[in-house]
Amino acid sequence: MQSFVLKAEERDHRKFMSTGEASSYVAGHPDAYITRHSSFNFGDYQTGRKGFGKVRVFGDEIFSKAGCGYNMHPHHDFIIMAFILEGELTHVNTLGKVDTLKAGDFYAFSAGSGGKHCELNIESQDLHVIYVWVIPGMLLLPPTYQRSHFNATTSCNKLTPLVGNDSSMPITQDLKISRLDTDAAATYEYKLASGNHGVYAFVIEGSMTCNGASLGKRDSTGIWETDKVTIQTGTERSDILIVETIM
Amino acid sequence: MSEQYQRYLCLGCGFLYDELMGLPQHGIAPGTRWDQIPEDWVCPDCGTPKARFEMVVIPYAPGEPQSSSSNTF
Repeated sequence: MQSFVLKAEERDHRKFMSTGEASSYVAGHPDAYITRHSSFNFGDYQTGRKGFGKVRVFGDEIFSKAGCGYNMHPHHDFIIMAFILEGELTHVNTLGKVDTLKAGDFYAFSAGSGGKHCELNIESQDLHVIYVWVIPGMLLLPPTYQRSHFNATTSCNKLTPLVGNDSSMPITQDLKISRLDTDAAATYEYKLASGNHGVYAFVIEGSMTCNGASLGKRDSTGIWETDKVTIQTGTERSDILIVETIM
Repeated sequence: MSEQYQRYLCLGCGFLYDELMGLPQHGIAPGTRWDQIPEDWVCPDCGTPKARFEMVVIPYAPGEPQSSSSNTF
């Protein structure tokens, strides 16, 4: 078995203002700003891990002040997913979709042969969102947009598939994303699809013990070359995102 | 012979450079190898430096690439 632990404070941390250098990229009033914690190398952060399996971006972001976000910009090929934790995201894309996503909502925008999108927080409350970018299984596929909702109440204490073959949101990559929202002490065994798969588990809220490693809020771990991962939760509410990917 | 041509994905936006096709619209002829492209070249879509592209071994979707223009949004 191989593994690493990435503590919350070890991630890259950047702040992007809507004025100055990034003003054509970052939307919003002059006091608007985005903060981003990156688990993997992205942009000018190039001294960490390059990714995990087919994941290249895992960004824990906050859009602050009304109008804040990313202006319309182009993509190809990446499957870009957003998981809304708090606040409200207005997503606009060149498939003709204008969507409003709230806590629990998530989308997968597969840019394929080309698409643009805009990500905005048009409310005064901060938007907390996790972005995950995945390399696709085929190049220049027709672009697609899918969205769904994670119900934390009905899914409580259940390992719930959100993205991938076992879910209502299939993607063109050997990768699954599940979420575990718990309020009880329990042990979960996550069985990997094969010895060539790995798991990246990220603590959104609360804590967990994962294969013996104690992880707190926004800590994460990558585990591979094993057939199962054991997650232990306590009595406090914990919210965990689990990405399983071919390595 | 086309198997020996490599494909490179921009890690800033996903822009694709395929050595077989080059980028004629950006002055790079078909067949131009990645190492023949200047080190200060940047992604035409997002400005990401050449060093932050990743070589990928991924097949095209059926019917793609139709032409080099399909890679220009």
